[in-house]
Amino acid sequence: MELLHNFALGLSVALTPMNLLFCFIGALVGTLVGVLPGLGPVGAVAFLLSITFKMEPASAIIMLAGIYYGAMYGGSTTSILVNIPGETASVVTCLDGYKMARQGRAGAALGISAFGSFIAGTVGVIGLMFLAPLLGRAALSFGPAEYFALTLTGLTLVAYLSQGSMIKALIMAVLGLLAGTVGMDPISGEERFTYGTLTLRDGFGLVPVAMGLFGIAEVLENLIVLGTQSVYETKIQGLLPNRQDWRDSAAPIARGSVLGFFLGILPGPGPVIASFVSYAMEKRLSRYPEKFGTGVIEGVAGPEAANNAATAGSFIPLLSLGIPTSAIMALFMGALMIHGIQPGPLFIAKYPELFWGFIASMYVGNAMLLVLNLPLIGIWVKLLKTPYAILFPLILLFCLIGVYSLNANVAEIVIMLAFGVIGFGLRRVGFEGAPFILAMVLGPIMETSLRQSLLISRGSFMIFLNRPICAVLIGLTVLFLLWPMVRRRKPQVT
Amino acid sequence: MKRFEVTAAALLAGLAGYVLFEANKLRIGNFRVPQTGFFPRVLGLLLVLLTVVELVRALRQTATTRGPGKIDGEGWFRIGATLAIMLGFALVLEWLGFLLATFALMVLLLRAIEAPRWPKVLVVALVTSVLSYGLFAWLLGVPLPAGILGI
Repeated sequence: MELLHNFALGLSVALTPMNLLFCFIGALVGTLVGVLPGLGPVGAVAFLLSITFKMEPASAIIMLAGIYYGAMYGGSTTSILVNIPGETASVVTCLDGYKMARQGRAGAALGISAFGSFIAGTVGVIGLMFLAPLLGRAALSFGPAEYFALTLTGLTLVAYLSQGSMIKALIMAVLGLLAGTVGMDPISGEERFTYGTLTLRDGFGLVPVAMGLFGIAEVLENLIVLGTQSVYETKIQGLLPNRQDWRDSAAPIARGSVLGFFLGILPGPGPVIASFVSYAMEKRLSRYPEKFGTGVIEGVAGPEAANNAATAGSFIPLLSLGIPTSAIMALFMGALMIHGIQPGPLFIAKYPELFWGFIASMYVGNAMLLVLNLPLIGIWVKLLKTPYAILFPLILLFCLIGVYSLNANVAEIVIMLAFGVIGFGLRRVGFEGAPFILAMVLGPIMETSLRQSLLISRGSFMIFLNRPICAVLIGLTVLFLLWPMVRRRKPQVT
Repeated sequence: MKRFEVTAAALLAGLAGYVLFEANKLRIGNFRVPQTGFFPRVLGLLLVLLTVVELVRALRQTATTRGPGKIDGEGWFRIGATLAIMLGFALVLEWLGFLLATFALMVLLLRAIEAPRWPKVLVVALVTSVLSYGLFAWLLGVPLPAGILGI
C-alpha cells in the first residue's frame, strides 16, 4: 500500500507538463545519441549536465536518465540497419539483427528490439522500485570502513570486467583516483597539485574531463578514417513482430530482463556485459545454437531486453548507497551534487518526491521511447545519412559550448582538450576511459573513508577485516585481483 | 604494438615517479593520523608498481601482436587541425564574442575535416552559429561572451 502511495506521489511529479517535456527531450536526445556515432551516452550526459544547473533537480535527473535509456533503444537501430552499433551495449545486436535486415526482416528486428526494450525497461524499473529502498535501509548501518571497502571492490570489479587488460584498467583507475586528489583536501582543506591555479582549486571538473575522454577522444578516433556511412537500403515494413516472432522472443525477453537487471547492479559497464551474457545464454539454451549469427530473432530480443533492464539496475547502488558503479552513474552523481543533493542511504527518505518522481518518469519515458522508436524509424535512418563532415564539427561545437557554459572559464576548454588528447592516445594503446572517470568521482569518497577509518581504528588496518560486510568485500576484492592469475596458471597445471 | 605499449608504459612509469615526488612535498602524517599527502603517496606507490608490471608485460610480449591501425598523413592533418582550431576558439572566444568565434570555428572545422564547397560551408556555419546562440543564450539563458560585436 505504501508502495502504491509512493508511486502515486512519483506520478504527480513525473506528469507535470515541464517534467514530461524534459523526459521527452531526454528520450529524444538519447535516441539520437544511440543512433548517431561519435558521441556516446556518457559524452551526451556530460554535455547536458552543464545546462541542468538552472533546472529543478527532478527535471534534471529525469532528462539525463532519458538520455541514458534512450541511447540503449537508439543504439539497436544502427546495429540492425548499418551493422555499426550506436553504442557499446548494442554491439551484440549486430550479430543477428543485421543478418535479419539482410534477409528483409529489418522491421521485425527493429520491432522486437523496441518491444523487448520496453518490457525489460519496465521490469527493471519495478525492480528498482522494490530494491533501492531496501538496500538504502540496510546501508544506514554502513560506516567509513564499509564505504572504503565498497569503493575498493567497485573499482576492482570494474577493472576485472574491463574489455581489455586488467592491469591497464587498474592503472587507469589509479590515475583517476589521483586526478580526484587534485584541489582541496576533503578533510583539511589544504591545496594539492594545484600549482597556484584558481581553476584547479576545486579539482578537475567532471564535465570537462568526461567530455574530453569520451566526446573529443571519440571524434578524434573517427577522424582517422573519415568515410561515409552506407545504410543498407531496405524497405522497412511490418514493424509489429508476428505471432511466431513473439513465441520465439517471449522467453529470451523474460530471461534478459531479469538477468540484465541484476547484472546492472554490479559495478562496471552493466548494459554491455548484460547484452553479451544474455546472447551467450540464449545460444546455450537454444535448440538450434548453430543458427545464432545467421539472423535469429532470439539473438536480438534477449540482449536488447538485457541492456535496457541493466540501465534501471545500475541506478540502485547510486541511489541507495551513494556509490556510482560506472562512468555514466558518476555523472548522475555529479548532476545531483550540483543541486546540493547527496545520493546515499538517506536519499529516498530525504527526497521522496525526487526519487519516486524519477522512478515514475522512467515508466513514462519507456512508453515515450516505444512511440519514438517505431513510427520514427524512417527519420532515424535519414539522420544516419548525415555526412560526418557536418556531424563531427557539430559535436565538437556542442562540447566546446557545453564546457564553457559551466563556469564561463576558457581554462576548462583547455582541460577538456588536454583530456581529449590523453584519452585518444591512451585508447590507441588499449587503455579505457571508464575506470578513470569512475575512480575520479569515487576518489574523494574513498580517501575520506580510508582516513576516517584509520583515525577510528588508531591506525589499525584490522578495521577492514573485523567488520563482516567489510571482510566480505575485501575478500571479493582479493578474489577479483587474483583470479586472472589463477586462470592463467590453470592450463599449465592440467 | 609492442613499441607503442612499451612507450606508453614507460611514460606512465615516469608519471608515477613524478606523482611520488610531488606527493612527498605534502604532509604525509602516519597511519594513526593520515594527512593531506597520505592518499596521493599510497596511489603513487601503487602506480609505480602497476606501471612496472605493465612495462615488463609490454617488453615480454611478442612483436607480432597487432597494433592500433596506422594513421596516414591525411588523418594526422585532420586531428592536428581540429585540435588547433578548437584551441584557437578557446583563445579568441572572449575577445571575438560567441557569434563570430563560433562562425569562424565552424568554417575552419568544416574545411579541415572534409572541405565541402564554400557556399555549403558558409551556410552551415552561419545557421549553426545563429541557432546555437539562440539555443544557449535565449532558451537556456547561458551567459555568452559578447566580444567585439557587443551582442
